Amino acid sequence: MTVAGARLPRSSAALKRWGTGWTRVGLQTLFYAKTLRYIGDVFRSYRSELVRLIAQMGLGTGALAVIGGTVAIVGFLTMTTGALVSVAGYNQLSDIGVEALTGFASAYFNVRLAAPLTAGVALAATIGAGATAQLGAMRINEEIDALEVMGIRTIAYLASTRVVAGVLVVVPLYCVAAISAFLSAKLSTTVIYGQSAGVYDHYFSTFLYPMDLVWSFVLAVAMALVIMLVHTYYGFTAAGGPAGVGEAVGRAVRTSLVSSSALIVFLSLAIYGQTGNFHLSG
Amino acid sequence: MTVSVPAWKPAAAVGGLFAMGLDVLVLLPRRPFAWREFVRQAWFVARVSLLPTVMLAIPYSVLVVFTFNILLLEFGAADFSGTTAAFATVTQIGPIVTVLVVAGAGATAMCADLGARTIREEVDAMRVMGINPIQALVVPRVLAATLVAILLSAVVIVVGLVGGFFFSVLVQHVTPGAYGAGMTVLTHAADVVVAVIKAALFGLAAGLIACYKGISVEGGPAGVGNAVNETVVYTFVALFAINIVATAVGVKVVV
Repeated sequence: MTVAGARLPRSSAALKRWGTGWTRVGLQTLFYAKTLRYIGDVFRSYRSELVRLIAQMGLGTGALAVIGGTVAIVGFLTMTTGALVSVAGYNQLSDIGVEALTGFASAYFNVRLAAPLTAGVALAATIGAGATAQLGAMRINEEIDALEVMGIRTIAYLASTRVVAGVLVVVPLYCVAAISAFLSAKLSTTVIYGQSAGVYDHYFSTFLYPMDLVWSFVLAVAMALVIMLVHTYYGFTAAGGPAGVGEAVGRAVRTSLVSSSALIVFLSLAIYGQTGNFHLSG
Repeated sequence: MTVSVPAWKPAAAVGGLFAMGLDVLVLLPRRPFAWREFVRQAWFVARVSLLPTVMLAIPYSVLVVFTFNILLLEFGAADFSGTTAAFATVTQIGPIVTVLVVAGAGATAMCADLGARTIREEVDAMRVMGINPIQALVVPRVLAATLVAILLSAVVIVVGLVGGFFFSVLVQHVTPGAYGAGMTVLTHAADVVVAVIKAALFGLAAGLIACYKGISVEGGPAGVGNAVNETVVYTFVALFAINIVATAVGVKVVV
């Protein structure tokens, strides 16, 4: 290796970079596998920590808690996309004279498209980035090393608990998200555009399939799992002082946005199939 | 002082943000303009954002095209899949994906960088040397975020349309010619202009929030981490709020 390295400095450097990339992928996979494996220990040994984390994730910390915490932010984001569906839907549909179908647009696009995508973004920004920031600061302050010295399995205590808490918290959060998307779509159609509430409700409840809503929840839970895994990994491996924590948060947000949206696409294709499992005429 | 964050603090933060925005506006025409910093920041944001932009634009556009095509196939109007793809990509996905990436990649890095400088008291040192940090650091960063957001939105739209094309044609068996012909039915030049304006507004807001949170960091590594976290949350909230207003205005203006 050293002889070849001296002869071909550039290609050996490229080879090394390539190798480091694969090593990182392997380490990341190992971390995820360990995190998932220790989930049983969370319920056995770290139940109080789990409850504390759930409370913290639901309400947010510091300045976020003052403006209403995670619940308010998730609710607000899906509220804007719900209103967006009705604004775009009403205007486009009224071009061809069928603005009565705005209720249908809300029931269809909110459930399948807007609410899962927006909830994924909101989860990555709030509980995901929060976990990275916390864990990163603990790593920089050498608190994680201290825990290891005390004989605590840090991955189980810090990462697995956060993953479990994220998956548990997402269910009520997604309820809030879905309700605020539906309500804002309805309010902006009936109050701002002046459509009669009966027309809206009729098409909304005709085309709101309960099964689609259940699948939408499955999407949200799967997304929460991926987002929490990615964010705990980047927080756990933060390095390089105060700026390093910030960079880790940025990298984690980037990775989790890409991976969660790719996940939604594949899950949607798997759930709804190529034909879409949708019947307009009943 | 066991009381948690006082209730007026968010209001003070919003006020501080607006004050800094005003400072940026006032200092914008003041010479010397920090060209070197501007170019370096623009290159940096573009470099960290380009790959995630493409990676995020493809799943978003595929998902939207898939969901719309289900409907269109049911109506028997699959030939119009190009219309919905163009409309959704230009008016919504383009600006929103740009925002997510500029906020998630560019703004977080900016905030981390400025925050680290603030807690190392480099920003105070600049003030002592008579250099206004707003003029030297914030103005070029905000402008760089705006410029890169405009450029990235073009990339997202192109990638989205191409991704939608391949998905519609290869997976859902739409005629390629019909896809191409349908693209301009609903989407006109005015929509593209509105999309670019939206992207510029998003970049501006993301840059301002990131710089404000970065410059007002307190309390060590945990503080920087929290500031970056808050940057992500506030930029997303601000951007979604701007998006709904800009869309409602755009719908009225364009028609």
